[in-house]
Amino acid sequence: MNKLISLLIAGLAVVMSASLAMAQTSLSRNEIINSLQGAQAEVEISADMLQRQAFEHIKKYPGDNSSEALPLAAQLAKLRQFNVEITFDFDSARIRPESYETIGVIADALHTPYLMGQTFFVVGHTDAKGKREYNLELSIKRAAAVRNALVTTFGVPVGSLAAVGLGEEQLRDPANPDSEINRRVQLINVGF
Amino acid sequence: MLRLFIAATAALWLGLAGSAMAQTVGFADAIKILAASCGADIDKYCKSATLANNGIGQCLNENASKVSAQCNTDRVRVAALLEARFAAQAAVFQVCERPARQYCPGVKPGAGHVLKCLLKAERVVGDKCNTAIDLAGYR
Repeated sequence: MNKLISLLIAGLAVVMSASLAMAQTSLSRNEIINSLQGAQAEVEISADMLQRQAFEHIKKYPGDNSSEALPLAAQLAKLRQFNVEITFDFDSARIRPESYETIGVIADALHTPYLMGQTFFVVGHTDAKGKREYNLELSIKRAAAVRNALVTTFGVPVGSLAAVGLGEEQLRDPANPDSEINRRVQLINVGF
Repeated sequence: MLRLFIAATAALWLGLAGSAMAQTVGFADAIKILAASCGADIDKYCKSATLANNGIGQCLNENASKVSAQCNTDRVRVAALLEARFAAQAAVFQVCERPARQYCPGVKPGAGHVLKCLLKAERVVGDKCNTAIDLAGYR
Protein backbone atom coordinates (compact mmCIF):
# COMPACT_ATOMS: atom_id res chain seq x y z
CA MET A 1 0.00 0.00 0.00
CA ASN A 2 2.79 2.30 0.92
CA LYS A 3 4.26 1.65 -2.48
CA LEU A 4 1.01 2.63 -4.15
CA ILE A 5 0.89 5.88 -2.26
CA SER A 6 4.43 6.77 -3.14
CA LEU A 7 3.72 5.89 -6.77
CA LEU A 8 0.72 8.18 -6.73
CA ILE A 9 2.79 10.91 -5.17
CA ALA A 10 5.49 10.45 -7.79
CA GLY A 11 2.77 10.68 -10.43
CA LEU A 12 1.51 13.89 -8.93
CA ALA A 13 5.03 15.30 -8.91
CA VAL A 14 5.30 14.64 -12.63
CA VAL A 15 2.00 16.37 -13.28
CA MET A 16 3.09 19.30 -11.16
CA SER A 17 6.39 19.74 -12.94
CA ALA A 18 4.58 19.54 -16.28
CA SER A 19 2.23 22.33 -15.26
CA LEU A 20 5.19 24.31 -13.96
CA ALA A 21 6.77 24.10 -17.39
CA MET A 22 3.55 25.39 -18.90
CA ALA A 23 3.47 28.19 -16.39
CA GLN A 24 6.90 29.27 -17.62
CA THR A 25 5.69 29.70 -21.18
CA SER A 26 2.65 31.61 -20.02
CA LEU A 27 4.89 33.75 -17.83
CA SER A 28 6.63 35.29 -20.80
CA ARG A 29 3.28 35.73 -22.52
CA ASN A 30 2.04 37.39 -19.37
CA GLU A 31 5.18 39.49 -19.17
CA ILE A 32 4.27 40.97 -22.55
CA ILE A 33 0.65 41.41 -21.51
CA ASN A 34 1.60 43.12 -18.25
CA SER A 35 3.99 45.48 -19.98
CA LEU A 36 1.56 46.41 -22.74
CA GLN A 37 -1.84 46.56 -21.11
CA GLY A 38 -3.35 49.61 -19.50
CA ALA A 39 -3.37 52.09 -22.38
CA GLN A 40 -5.88 54.72 -21.41
CA ALA A 41 -6.77 56.40 -24.66
CA GLU A 42 -5.73 56.68 -28.25
CA VAL A 43 -2.49 58.49 -28.86
CA GLU A 44 -2.11 61.23 -31.44
CA ILE A 45 0.86 59.65 -33.15
CA SER A 46 0.54 57.97 -36.50
CA ALA A 47 2.95 55.35 -37.75
CA ASP A 48 3.49 57.39 -40.93
CA MET A 49 4.38 60.46 -38.90
CA LEU A 50 6.94 58.51 -36.89
CA GLN A 51 8.38 56.91 -40.00
CA ARG A 52 8.74 60.29 -41.70
CA GLN A 53 10.57 61.70 -38.69
CA ALA A 54 13.25 59.02 -39.00
CA PHE A 55 13.98 60.00 -42.61
CA GLU A 56 13.95 63.72 -41.79
CA HIS A 57 16.22 63.09 -38.84
CA ILE A 58 19.01 61.81 -41.07
CA LYS A 59 18.79 64.91 -43.27
CA LYS A 60 18.57 67.31 -40.37
CA TYR A 61 21.42 65.79 -38.35
CA PRO A 62 23.71 64.20 -40.93
CA GLY A 63 26.87 62.34 -39.97
CA ASP A 64 27.93 58.91 -38.87
CA ASN A 65 25.66 58.75 -35.84
CA SER A 66 22.83 60.95 -34.69
CA SER A 67 23.30 62.63 -31.35
CA GLU A 68 19.77 63.98 -31.19
CA ALA A 69 16.58 62.25 -30.10
CA LEU A 70 13.64 61.98 -32.47
CA PRO A 71 11.01 64.69 -31.84
CA LEU A 72 8.44 62.03 -30.90
CA ALA A 73 10.82 60.06 -28.65
CA ALA A 74 9.70 61.57 -25.34
CA GLN A 75 6.05 61.05 -26.18
CA LEU A 76 6.66 57.43 -27.20
CA ALA A 77 8.65 56.72 -24.05
CA LYS A 78 5.54 57.40 -21.95
CA LEU A 79 3.54 54.65 -23.64
CA ARG A 80 3.12 51.04 -22.52
CA GLN A 81 5.80 49.03 -24.33
CA PHE A 82 7.91 45.92 -24.47
CA ASN A 83 11.25 45.12 -26.12
CA VAL A 84 11.95 41.79 -27.76
CA GLU A 85 14.96 40.43 -29.53
CA ILE A 86 14.27 38.79 -32.84
CA THR A 87 17.07 37.44 -34.96
CA PHE A 88 17.10 37.75 -38.73
CA ASP A 89 19.35 36.42 -41.45
CA PHE A 90 22.35 38.67 -42.02
CA ASP A 91 21.45 41.77 -44.06
CA SER A 92 17.96 40.37 -44.53
CA ALA A 93 14.43 40.66 -43.17
CA ARG A 94 14.02 36.89 -42.99
CA ILE A 95 13.19 35.84 -39.43
CA ARG A 96 15.47 33.07 -38.12
CA PRO A 97 13.82 29.81 -36.96
CA GLU A 98 15.20 30.36 -33.44
CA SER A 99 12.97 33.42 -33.16
CA TYR A 100 9.74 31.71 -34.28
CA GLU A 101 8.84 31.05 -30.67
CA THR A 102 9.22 34.74 -29.81
CA ILE A 103 6.87 35.67 -32.64
CA GLY A 104 4.46 33.03 -31.32
CA VAL A 105 4.61 34.42 -27.79
CA ILE A 106 3.79 37.90 -29.11
CA ALA A 107 0.87 36.40 -31.03
CA ASP A 108 -0.33 34.56 -27.92
CA ALA A 109 -0.25 37.83 -25.96
CA LEU A 110 -1.96 39.92 -28.64
CA HIS A 111 -4.79 37.38 -28.98
CA THR A 112 -5.77 37.57 -25.31
CA PRO A 113 -8.74 39.68 -24.15
CA TYR A 114 -6.28 41.86 -22.24
CA LEU A 115 -4.74 43.28 -25.42
CA MET A 116 -7.46 42.54 -27.96
CA GLY A 117 -8.81 45.51 -29.89
CA GLN A 118 -5.88 47.78 -29.11
CA THR A 119 -3.40 49.16 -31.62
CA PHE A 120 0.32 48.56 -31.48
CA PHE A 121 3.37 49.83 -33.29
CA VAL A 122 5.94 47.20 -34.19
CA VAL A 123 9.13 49.28 -34.24
CA GLY A 124 12.39 47.90 -35.61
CA HIS A 125 15.78 49.24 -34.47
CA THR A 126 19.36 48.50 -35.47
CA ASP A 127 22.70 49.29 -33.86
CA ALA A 128 24.79 52.13 -35.29
CA LYS A 129 27.21 50.02 -37.32
CA GLY A 130 27.07 50.83 -41.00
CA LYS A 131 25.24 53.59 -42.87
CA ARG A 132 22.24 55.24 -41.31
CA GLU A 133 20.15 55.17 -44.50
CA TYR A 134 20.88 51.49 -44.96
CA ASN A 135 20.01 50.68 -41.35
CA LEU A 136 16.77 52.63 -41.64
CA GLU A 137 15.70 50.70 -44.74
CA LEU A 138 16.65 47.36 -43.18
CA SER A 139 14.74 48.11 -39.98
CA ILE A 140 11.65 49.06 -41.99
CA LYS A 141 11.78 45.72 -43.81
CA ARG A 142 12.34 43.80 -40.58
CA ALA A 143 9.51 45.51 -38.71
CA ALA A 144 7.24 44.75 -41.67
CA ALA A 145 8.36 41.10 -41.65
CA VAL A 146 7.41 40.74 -37.99
CA ARG A 147 4.07 42.46 -38.52
CA ASN A 148 3.31 40.40 -41.62
CA ALA A 149 4.07 37.11 -39.86
CA LEU A 150 1.79 38.10 -36.96
CA VAL A 151 -1.16 39.21 -39.09
CA THR A 152 -1.05 36.28 -41.51
CA THR A 153 0.37 33.05 -40.09
CA PHE A 154 -0.68 33.91 -36.53
CA GLY A 155 -4.01 35.57 -37.26
CA VAL A 156 -3.52 38.83 -35.37
CA PRO A 157 -6.10 41.34 -36.70
CA VAL A 158 -4.53 43.37 -39.54
CA GLY A 159 -5.71 46.72 -38.20
CA SER A 160 -4.12 46.26 -34.80
CA LEU A 161 -0.49 46.42 -35.93
CA ALA A 162 1.49 49.11 -37.74
CA ALA A 163 5.14 48.57 -38.66
CA VAL A 164 7.75 51.31 -38.34
CA GLY A 165 11.52 51.16 -38.80
CA LEU A 166 13.73 53.63 -36.99
CA GLY A 167 17.14 52.25 -37.96
CA GLU A 168 19.75 53.69 -35.63
CA GLU A 169 17.83 56.93 -35.09
CA GLN A 170 16.62 56.01 -31.62
CA LEU A 171 19.32 54.00 -29.89
CA ARG A 172 18.52 52.23 -26.65
CA ASP A 173 22.03 52.88 -25.38
CA PRO A 174 23.36 56.07 -27.05
CA ALA A 175 26.62 55.82 -25.07
CA ASN A 176 27.33 52.50 -26.82
CA PRO A 177 25.94 53.02 -30.30
CA ASP A 178 27.46 49.86 -31.78
CA SER A 179 26.30 47.62 -28.95
CA GLU A 180 23.88 44.85 -29.86
CA ILE A 181 21.57 45.98 -27.06
CA ASN A 182 20.39 48.57 -29.57
CA ARG A 183 19.07 45.89 -31.92
CA ARG A 184 15.51 45.24 -30.91
CA VAL A 185 11.90 45.15 -31.88
CA GLN A 186 9.72 47.35 -29.75
CA LEU A 187 6.02 46.80 -29.28
CA ILE A 188 4.27 50.00 -28.30
CA ASN A 189 0.62 50.23 -27.28
CA VAL A 190 -0.90 53.27 -28.95
CA GLY A 191 -4.35 52.69 -27.49
CA PHE A 192 -7.81 51.84 -28.68
CA MET B 1 -9.99 7.10 4.75
CA LEU B 2 -7.38 5.53 2.52
CA ARG B 3 -10.10 4.42 0.12
CA LEU B 4 -11.40 7.96 -0.03
CA PHE B 5 -7.89 9.23 -0.74
CA ILE B 6 -7.47 6.78 -3.60
CA ALA B 7 -10.88 7.63 -5.02
CA ALA B 8 -10.11 11.32 -4.82
CA THR B 9 -6.73 10.82 -6.48
CA ALA B 10 -8.30 8.73 -9.23
CA ALA B 11 -10.87 11.44 -9.85
CA LEU B 12 -8.07 13.99 -10.06
CA TRP B 13 -6.22 11.79 -12.55
CA LEU B 14 -9.28 11.29 -14.70
CA GLY B 15 -9.96 14.98 -14.66
CA LEU B 16 -6.41 15.77 -15.70
CA ALA B 17 -6.43 13.10 -18.40
CA GLY B 18 -9.75 14.40 -19.70
CA SER B 19 -8.54 17.97 -19.96
CA ALA B 20 -5.19 16.91 -21.40
CA MET B 21 -6.88 15.07 -24.25
CA ALA B 22 -8.80 18.07 -25.48
CA GLN B 23 -6.02 20.56 -24.82
CA THR B 24 -4.79 23.02 -27.38
CA VAL B 25 -1.41 24.71 -27.25
CA GLY B 26 -0.48 28.32 -27.80
CA PHE B 27 1.08 29.66 -30.99
CA ALA B 28 4.51 29.87 -29.32
CA ASP B 29 4.46 26.24 -28.19
CA ALA B 30 3.29 25.12 -31.62
CA ILE B 31 5.72 27.08 -33.76
CA LYS B 32 8.74 26.25 -31.61
CA ILE B 33 8.25 22.60 -32.58
CA LEU B 34 8.65 23.65 -36.21
CA ALA B 35 11.85 25.55 -35.43
CA ALA B 36 13.27 22.58 -33.50
CA SER B 37 12.34 19.84 -35.96
CA CYS B 38 12.67 21.73 -39.24
CA GLY B 39 15.21 24.50 -38.48
CA ALA B 40 18.01 22.85 -40.49
CA ASP B 41 15.69 22.01 -43.40
CA ILE B 42 14.29 25.55 -43.39
CA ASP B 43 17.81 26.96 -43.75
CA LYS B 44 18.62 24.45 -46.46
CA TYR B 45 15.50 24.48 -48.63
CA CYS B 46 13.56 27.59 -47.66
CA LYS B 47 16.16 30.35 -47.84
CA SER B 48 13.79 32.70 -49.62
CA ALA B 49 10.57 31.72 -47.84
CA THR B 50 9.25 33.85 -44.99
CA LEU B 51 7.23 33.13 -41.89
CA ALA B 52 4.42 35.34 -43.20
CA ASN B 53 1.49 33.81 -45.12
CA ASN B 54 2.48 30.35 -43.94
CA GLY B 55 5.43 30.62 -46.32
CA ILE B 56 7.65 28.31 -44.30
CA GLY B 57 4.96 25.64 -43.97
CA GLN B 58 4.29 25.80 -47.71
CA CYS B 59 7.96 25.60 -48.60
CA LEU B 60 8.43 22.55 -46.35
CA ASN B 61 5.38 21.00 -47.96
CA GLU B 62 6.83 21.56 -51.43
CA ASN B 63 10.10 20.01 -50.31
CA ALA B 64 8.48 17.13 -48.44
CA SER B 65 10.53 14.54 -50.32
CA LYS B 66 13.79 16.18 -49.20
CA VAL B 67 13.23 17.26 -45.61
CA SER B 68 13.91 14.97 -42.64
CA ALA B 69 11.33 12.45 -41.49
CA GLN B 70 11.02 14.22 -38.14
CA CYS B 71 10.34 17.51 -39.90
CA ASN B 72 7.70 15.92 -42.11
CA THR B 73 5.91 14.50 -39.09
CA ASP B 74 6.10 17.72 -37.14
CA ARG B 75 5.25 20.21 -39.89
CA VAL B 76 1.89 18.44 -40.28
CA ARG B 77 1.47 18.37 -36.51
CA VAL B 78 2.28 22.08 -36.14
CA ALA B 79 -0.18 23.05 -38.88
CA ALA B 80 -2.86 21.05 -37.06
CA LEU B 81 -1.99 22.70 -33.72
CA LEU B 82 -2.27 26.19 -35.21
CA GLU B 83 -5.58 25.28 -36.81
CA ALA B 84 -6.88 23.84 -33.53
CA ARG B 85 -6.06 27.06 -31.68
CA PHE B 86 -7.72 29.22 -34.36
CA ALA B 87 -10.80 27.00 -34.26
CA ALA B 88 -10.89 27.16 -30.46
CA GLN B 89 -10.71 30.96 -30.57
CA ALA B 90 -13.45 31.15 -33.18
CA ALA B 91 -15.70 28.90 -31.09
CA VAL B 92 -15.68 30.90 -27.86
CA PHE B 93 -18.43 33.38 -28.67
CA GLN B 94 -20.84 30.67 -29.73
CA VAL B 95 -20.13 28.41 -26.76
CA CYS B 96 -20.26 31.31 -24.30
CA GLU B 97 -23.17 33.14 -25.91
CA ARG B 98 -25.68 32.36 -23.19
CA PRO B 99 -23.43 33.10 -20.20
CA ALA B 100 -22.32 36.28 -21.97
CA ARG B 101 -25.94 37.40 -22.26
CA GLN B 102 -26.71 36.36 -18.70
CA TYR B 103 -23.67 37.63 -16.86
CA CYS B 104 -22.30 40.36 -19.10
CA PRO B 105 -25.33 42.35 -20.25
CA GLY B 106 -24.53 45.94 -21.10
CA VAL B 107 -20.83 45.21 -21.53
CA LYS B 108 -19.88 46.93 -24.74
CA PRO B 109 -18.81 44.48 -27.42
CA GLY B 110 -15.36 44.55 -28.96
CA ALA B 111 -11.84 45.08 -27.60
CA GLY B 112 -12.13 41.95 -25.45
CA HIS B 113 -14.59 43.54 -22.99
CA VAL B 114 -17.08 40.66 -23.03
CA LEU B 115 -14.27 38.10 -22.75
CA LYS B 116 -12.79 39.94 -19.79
CA CYS B 117 -16.23 39.92 -18.17
CA LEU B 118 -16.51 36.16 -18.77
CA LEU B 119 -13.07 35.67 -17.24
CA LYS B 120 -14.16 37.53 -14.13
CA ALA B 121 -17.37 35.51 -13.97
CA GLU B 122 -15.41 32.24 -14.10
CA ARG B 123 -17.30 30.72 -11.17
CA VAL B 124 -20.73 31.03 -12.77
CA VAL B 125 -20.30 30.83 -16.56
CA GLY B 126 -20.24 27.03 -16.57
CA ASP B 127 -17.81 24.30 -17.56
CA LYS B 128 -18.43 24.48 -21.30
CA CYS B 129 -17.72 28.19 -21.53
CA ASN B 130 -14.73 27.93 -19.19
CA THR B 131 -13.29 25.07 -21.23
CA ALA B 132 -13.81 27.03 -24.45
CA ILE B 133 -11.95 29.98 -22.94
CA ASP B 134 -9.10 27.69 -21.83
CA LEU B 135 -8.82 26.07 -25.25
CA ALA B 136 -8.66 29.50 -26.87
CA GLY B 137 -5.76 30.50 -24.61
CA TYR B 138 -7.72 33.49 -23.35
CA ARG B 139 -7.13 33.02 -19.62
